[in-house]
Amino acid sequence: MLPFYVLERYEGNEALFNLVLMSIVSTYAGEPLHVHAEGLRGTGKTTIMRSARGILPPIERIKGCIYNCDPYDPHCPQHRYLSQEEIEAIGTEMIPMPFLEISHSAKVGTVAGSIDLARLTDPNHPEAHMLPGLIPQAHRGILFIDEINRLADTSPEITDILLDVMGNKPGHLQIEEAGLPAVEIIVNVSVWAASNPDEDPGPLEEIRRQLSDRFDMVCYMGRPHSVDILSNMLAENSHQKKTRLYKQRKVVQVDESKNEAYRQQIVRWAEQYDKTELPDFLRNFIARLYIKHNLESIRAIEAMQQGAVLRSLIKNRDKVQIGDVTETIPLVLKHRVDGDTLVRIINDLDTRGSKEGILSFKNRKDKKKEEEEPEYFQHDARSLKDLSRGELINTEKNLTPTDY
Amino acid sequence: MAWMEKSKVDKAASVGNYLGLYLGQGQGVRLGESTVVSCHAHGRMPEKRVKGQIKIFTNRDAGKCFLDFVDEGQVVHIDVFHRPGEIEPIELAKAIFWALNQYFIVKDPQLQYAEDERFKITADYATRIFVTTGMGKGTVYNLMQEKVEAFGQTDEGYDHVHILAQLQKEEYYLVYVIAEVVEEFILNNELKLARVRNITHGNQKMEEESYAGYMRLPWKKLKGQNARQLPDKENVNQLIIKLAEKFGGVEEIEEFMENYSTNILKRKGIEQQKKKWGDIENDLEQLEELGILRDTMFGKVLTKQGQALKDFVLTNKCELETEIRRNIRKMPSGGKGRYKKLGKSESKMSSVELTNRNRTINNPDKNWSGNLAVPETIIQAKKNSFLRGDDHLVIKKDDLHYYDKKTYVPVDICFLIDASGSMAGDKRQAACFLAEHLLLSGKEKVAVVMFQERTSQVVVPFTRKQSVLKKGLATINPAGLTPLASGIMTAVDLIKNTRVKNPLLVLITDGLPNTPLWTMDAKADALEAASKIPEANISFICIGIEAYRQYLEKVAEKANGVLYVVDDLNKDNLINIVRTEKKQLQNARQ
Repeated sequence: MLPFYVLERYEGNEALFNLVLMSIVSTYAGEPLHVHAEGLRGTGKTTIMRSARGILPPIERIKGCIYNCDPYDPHCPQHRYLSQEEIEAIGTEMIPMPFLEISHSAKVGTVAGSIDLARLTDPNHPEAHMLPGLIPQAHRGILFIDEINRLADTSPEITDILLDVMGNKPGHLQIEEAGLPAVEIIVNVSVWAASNPDEDPGPLEEIRRQLSDRFDMVCYMGRPHSVDILSNMLAENSHQKKTRLYKQRKVVQVDESKNEAYRQQIVRWAEQYDKTELPDFLRNFIARLYIKHNLESIRAIEAMQQGAVLRSLIKNRDKVQIGDVTETIPLVLKHRVDGDTLVRIINDLDTRGSKEGILSFKNRKDKKKEEEEPEYFQHDARSLKDLSRGELINTEKNLTPTDY
Repeated sequence: MAWMEKSKVDKAASVGNYLGLYLGQGQGVRLGESTVVSCHAHGRMPEKRVKGQIKIFTNRDAGKCFLDFVDEGQVVHIDVFHRPGEIEPIELAKAIFWALNQYFIVKDPQLQYAEDERFKITADYATRIFVTTGMGKGTVYNLMQEKVEAFGQTDEGYDHVHILAQLQKEEYYLVYVIAEVVEEFILNNELKLARVRNITHGNQKMEEESYAGYMRLPWKKLKGQNARQLPDKENVNQLIIKLAEKFGGVEEIEEFMENYSTNILKRKGIEQQKKKWGDIENDLEQLEELGILRDTMFGKVLTKQGQALKDFVLTNKCELETEIRRNIRKMPSGGKGRYKKLGKSESKMSSVELTNRNRTINNPDKNWSGNLAVPETIIQAKKNSFLRGDDHLVIKKDDLHYYDKKTYVPVDICFLIDASGSMAGDKRQAACFLAEHLLLSGKEKVAVVMFQERTSQVVVPFTRKQSVLKKGLATINPAGLTPLASGIMTAVDLIKNTRVKNPLLVLITDGLPNTPLWTMDAKADALEAASKIPEANISFICIGIEAYRQYLEKVAEKANGVLYVVDDLNKDNLINIVRTEKKQLQNARQ
């Protein structure tokens, strides 16, 4: 697979590259960001997401903890009640940030957790023990689901688990197995998904509306239109190039150093993320959008806030600007509102001059208000009951004075 | 008291007569001093100095612009103006309901003793009267059950009670009854009635349906504005989707634009375009406002921006088609339940069984047979042995796991579309949209048969391919007579000669048959043809309009099927009907 930095960037996929970086930064800082890439087949959704595996920064966990316990904030049933000294005694280790995939043959047991067969069949010390599934093992990392629309259609049970995991930040998971006590744990997992809305069984929001709303941001992939980009892609992917380069070992080193640069950058951004706040006026502005356009889900505006801050970081700015919010809006809202509303929201922000300022909702002339002027009518009409039959019906001709 | 009630009946009857006259001419009237009645939308005229004047927008039909009707003149719009204040919609609905109920007693004393009958009549009207006040909206029927829809930003009702009543001409007398009780209700709420000084008639610039107002195309330069990449793209996309909703798809948009190219030979007249796509004047106006079209000596032509839009469509065809298909798949949200179902559907369906390898079930009581899930069974046995304390692995009956089964009832649908002249425009578009929606949102095959003039033909054989369907639908050009019998026979033959599962025949028509097949009697022939439908084991539904209900009911009966009567043939109605019917068929499996 091609390393992350080699992949061609063009207008249609730029947003996904940004989202992937934003999600990694956020996850590393401890707050998941769920991302969904939708687009035509063969536009590179899966390729970009999978190649991001190479740039994931390492995380520190309690030695051997399969639940990836943070030494400073242990959460798994085994370590949650240990004191700091006891944890130090166990020791810690660095592992790459987990990147796990839910495939289409997944079952509830493999995804959430089930009984540990190896220990159960241990000839010397057979034990009934819980083995955490993919989701708890991906704690503090990424969970990737390809063709999520198909999964939502064929495995509603797994979808229910995902709803629970993605419902809050951090998410929640309960593992149950008959004969064993249920295990309840928190999971901080960013779910990345890819799907083609045009293939069976159709777009995710038609199959499971709730699940589609759980994604903070959705990116619509476009095809490249430039001949140069396309021929570059062909060159990178040609068999000749791959075999030639891999014979000289050099390229592996180059790749590794480039990936390392990304990793360091991500760690720096994550530190910055803990410190960056969304300015009050932008927060207010987002809140007003919610009210004004009757948005339904509060998740949408939460995602807007998170997205705006992260966007300012990966653009290497230390302050969040209004542009960060406006650029985030289509990504956050496209799967939540209909096209008309989205365009209205976008243009509402865009078209006012600098004088009026997009933030001043106050000075805008409200057309509706004007129409609602209360003194428009005289309020002295007689009711129908008090009128004689001849006075009931008046036409335009009757009512228009003709004496001049 | 009695004479007062009697005088109310007289007043109502007289109002009904006048309304029949004036509304029939497309005019509106002031009823009493604070109520305006018409079949159109109303608005204030703040631009004029004269206050207290209401304008009746003769170019905007009330049913069309408030309730998404396709046909004009079906809805009476009653506005009762008052001093701004709070009017509780639920209480108001109750007042209207009881006033109607009471009125029927006075009008026909016989009904006093037939409470059920009277209640049924009133309830029927209650579903057809839609009320909006500043505090909420809904049909009288729903409001009575405390189902209130929220008052939206664009809704009317801040200083008037806004009522839409779907009434026939001979029911116009009820307008008086409604207006009177609403006024009384307002006064009882200690609000004053507003005096409408004058009414005028005129056109309104379409604001609701205008998209030109809020779209910003990148090719239209606005002063002091930095162009942004992404929002622009969203704007263009949305414009194309709007056009696709109207015209059907990317190819149709291209075809439409071709009519405004500079190559005069390729251009088609506006009448010809209207036949296919319905009323396109609004769209032309919008496009002109957006700077896509321009008036010249040779009629409207594409501007430079228009050319740019055309190029955009060509280069982004794949993405746009995906977006459009996505829109077609979308379930309709509004306009639910505006149809009546007559008759019952009963049929035996065959189902397809699939093994679900993702899910196993362990149900020792029921299951001894099925697809044994070996790994799960062994794990379960091992676990249970351990818990039981066995010293070696024992597999017992309650350890057995089986793969779950999914059953699925495929319903292949054949549409029988009336392509007579009256179906031109919006109705044709709605029927085509329905076929596409079902193809894209389901897993089954779809076929289309149309009947027109003297014959009928298969325009789309049973298929799962959208391209085939689109090509076929494009050939439907409504014109001529209605040979229903021939249509049914063609459809039945098509279904018989194709291998399909659980076929469902959906007839969509807005008229009566008027071309015979075997004899001289078109209607009798159609009934004869309908009786062939159950013989071929085909489920049948017919979607028709109220006016021809009696005859269509007979057709449905002969065909052992169901008749749906709609107020009009719009997209949402059609989709809702076919979806519910399909679901029922799937649940009715044996």
